[in-house]
Amino acid sequence: MHAIVAIKQVPDTSNVRIDPETGTLIREGVPAIINPYDIHAVEAAVQLKEQFGGRVTVITMGPPKAAEALIECIEQGADRAILLTDRKFGGADTLATSYVLAHAIEALNAEWPADIILFGKQAIDGDTAQVGPGVAVRLQIPLITYAIAIESFDPVARTAVVHRRIEQGVEVLQTRLPVLLTVEKEIAPVRRAPLPRMITAARYQPEVWTAETPVAFDPRQIGLKGSPTVVGKAYTPAPRAGGAIVTVADCGVEAAVARALEVMGILDTVRSSVAASAGVEVA
Amino acid sequence: MPDRLSYDAIVVGGGPAGTAAALVMARGGLSVIQIERGRFAGAKNIFGGVFYTHALADVLPDYWERKPPFERPVTEQGYWMLSPDSALRIMHKSEQYRQEPAGAYTVLRARFDPWFAAQAVEAGALLITRTTVTRLLKDARGFVIGVDTDRPDGQVYAPIVIIAEGVNNLLTRQAGLIASDLPPRYVALSVKEYLSMPPKELQARFGLAGPREGVAIDIFGDATLGLPGTAFLYTDQAGISIGVGMLLEEFVCHRLRPYDVLARFKNHPVIRPYLEGSESREYGAHLIPEMGYDRMPRLAGNGVMVAGDAAGMVDALHREGTNLAIIAGKAAAETALAAHEQGDFSAAFLSRYRRDLEASFVLKDMKQYRHMTDFLDSTPGFMGTYANLLNDAALRYFTAHGIPKRSMEREIVSLLRERRSFTGIAWDMLKLMRAMRG
Ligand SMILES: Cc1cc2nc3c(=O)[nH]c(=O)nc-3n(C[C@H](O)[C@H](O)[C@H](O)COP(=O)(O)OP(=O)(O)OC[C@H]3O[C@@H](n4cnc5c(N)ncnc54)[C@H](O)[C@@H]3O)c2cc1C
Repeated sequence: MHAIVAIKQVPDTSNVRIDPETGTLIREGVPAIINPYDIHAVEAAVQLKEQFGGRVTVITMGPPKAAEALIECIEQGADRAILLTDRKFGGADTLATSYVLAHAIEALNAEWPADIILFGKQAIDGDTAQVGPGVAVRLQIPLITYAIAIESFDPVARTAVVHRRIEQGVEVLQTRLPVLLTVEKEIAPVRRAPLPRMITAARYQPEVWTAETPVAFDPRQIGLKGSPTVVGKAYTPAPRAGGAIVTVADCGVEAAVARALEVMGILDTVRSSVAASAGVEVA
Repeated sequence: MPDRLSYDAIVVGGGPAGTAAALVMARGGLSVIQIERGRFAGAKNIFGGVFYTHALADVLPDYWERKPPFERPVTEQGYWMLSPDSALRIMHKSEQYRQEPAGAYTVLRARFDPWFAAQAVEAGALLITRTTVTRLLKDARGFVIGVDTDRPDGQVYAPIVIIAEGVNNLLTRQAGLIASDLPPRYVALSVKEYLSMPPKELQARFGLAGPREGVAIDIFGDATLGLPGTAFLYTDQAGISIGVGMLLEEFVCHRLRPYDVLARFKNHPVIRPYLEGSESREYGAHLIPEMGYDRMPRLAGNGVMVAGDAAGMVDALHREGTNLAIIAGKAAAETALAAHEQGDFSAAFLSRYRRDLEASFVLKDMKQYRHMTDFLDSTPGFMGTYANLLNDAALRYFTAHGIPKRSMEREIVSLLRERRSFTGIAWDMLKLMRAMRG
């Protein structure tokens, strides 16, 4: 079994502050962490490896510092880590990113075809949730988003049953392999890495892939050049003014509803229509 | 059952003591595993702080080329004595301080410790972070032979363990090197805040000519409500480190909350203008061991040594700790190297570590100031009384009242007598001198 997990290093947004003047993220001094969903994807892959044997390969596109996040994946049980890093990759939007990751995965597939490819459901610094699906489309393999459980997995029959979260509940899907999942945290709780793994990881150096070697990427599809997205303006929305709280127990349902309608500015319309239907005039 | 993890030496802690030990042992050819509980070395470590380079040069002669993340050289330093509305300042500025590498730099530990730890890793030490050592492993003879951690399969073995766990000395106690926890009388609690400020503004406020100048001020008197303790105000590259510290016992006895004391200090009319407009970035509390020479733990047992704050190696009077820690870590490492050469890890052999420290400034200074904590404890009004006295005297001295100078002098003298009798003053000074001379 070969599982490939794509991860991202993100600023710890629980620690992020916004520059009030420019409206942009202040990244300086903000610790970088592995995207919280992604580590669960790694864990799910490692659990499959424990069950079926094989290998877990982790890839990321990012600055050299992103090697830290890959090393954390090695701690969690991944076997091989690849860092796609090059200035030419810089400034990529989700389209360019999905191209680079898909192309890298194709190269890995040539060595050992992946049975499953995992992504976190979204990155907390952008929240687009587009890269995983983008890669699935480029690889032309089935996509299951918001996966919360792998009920069964059969690398021989090449099928799997996966649960995914939908608004109304849970959808249970059978799929052929290879499949690409974007996962929720429930997919697998992260276990504390054993000390021997920590030691392996501390000595581990991720492989570095550039835009040219060992795989050549199409220069028109990477980095800024390959990114049609334009960010018009980033701003912090003005906080909404707090609403009024009307306690039903204090004033009764009718008064509470009336008060709510009044606040929303539709009470008069309601009154007159109610009055009209009752044949009375409103003062 | 995985293979037993074995190394030549284990270091507990990624502070200055632990990293110095790991670095020196790795350079000496030992296989070293250094275990730190924080997310990275220094993640939770706070200090004032002024870092003294002599100790660093001792373990890393080419440290300057390795671009240590220093904030500012300390080119001006001294003391401020605060009364409730005034300050008497004694500052020392010298061209001598301006030669780099300087003798002292302000440092933020969250930046410095990871850099220092990386030097040990480069020398070959294996640094494992986010891992807490939970207990020492001992053999049937009672020799320490390894440690257990809070990770699955978390046991590691080595014939020598160097404990550099800092002030919370759980393992030192478990090793039987010290009988009990530090009593509140012999441990200070310090709160520190890091405030950011644009370098230009900072330089203007503190009269600094540029980024290669900085001040370190230690502050007494009203800063700690006149109780024994100190406050500090240091300039960093783009910010200010400010804090107060008092013996834990004082906080308890006077029902003071550390954060309130700091807030009060920051609001002092002399201090406030320096801080205005700055932005709070980091806030934390940390203990400082002040047990002094006589209450230090034994420094070595069978298969184990202890260095740095865990061993109480702090000179509170001169706010020195990191340099003592580094020198001690180095001395412990050298003893470990010798022990490996001889194949002898007994307490008797490892006692050479203590002998080396006795010969260095580390234990010489500790010995000299052995009575300092007791002095302040037995003279509780010392700081407050004299700080107020000096300020009141200065006010009279510097103000023109239209009265003859002779009466002004008499007034100052009678001020002294009101606050503390001449014999009282003489007695205080005598006690202070004794405490300083050891
Ligand atoms: C407010 C304040 C101001 C100070 N100002 C100065 C100053 O200006 N100049 C100066 O030289 N000194 C100063 N000091 C003193 C100085 O900070 C200490 O003496 C020095 O840090 C001691 O180094 P250490 O390596 O012994 O301990 P620490 O720096 O405390 O390092 C101990 C390390 O061990 C880790 N650890 C602890 N237990 C475990 C465990 N069980 N498993 C794994 N890891 C563990 C901790 O996370 C920590 O990283 C100041 C201290 C304080 C609190």
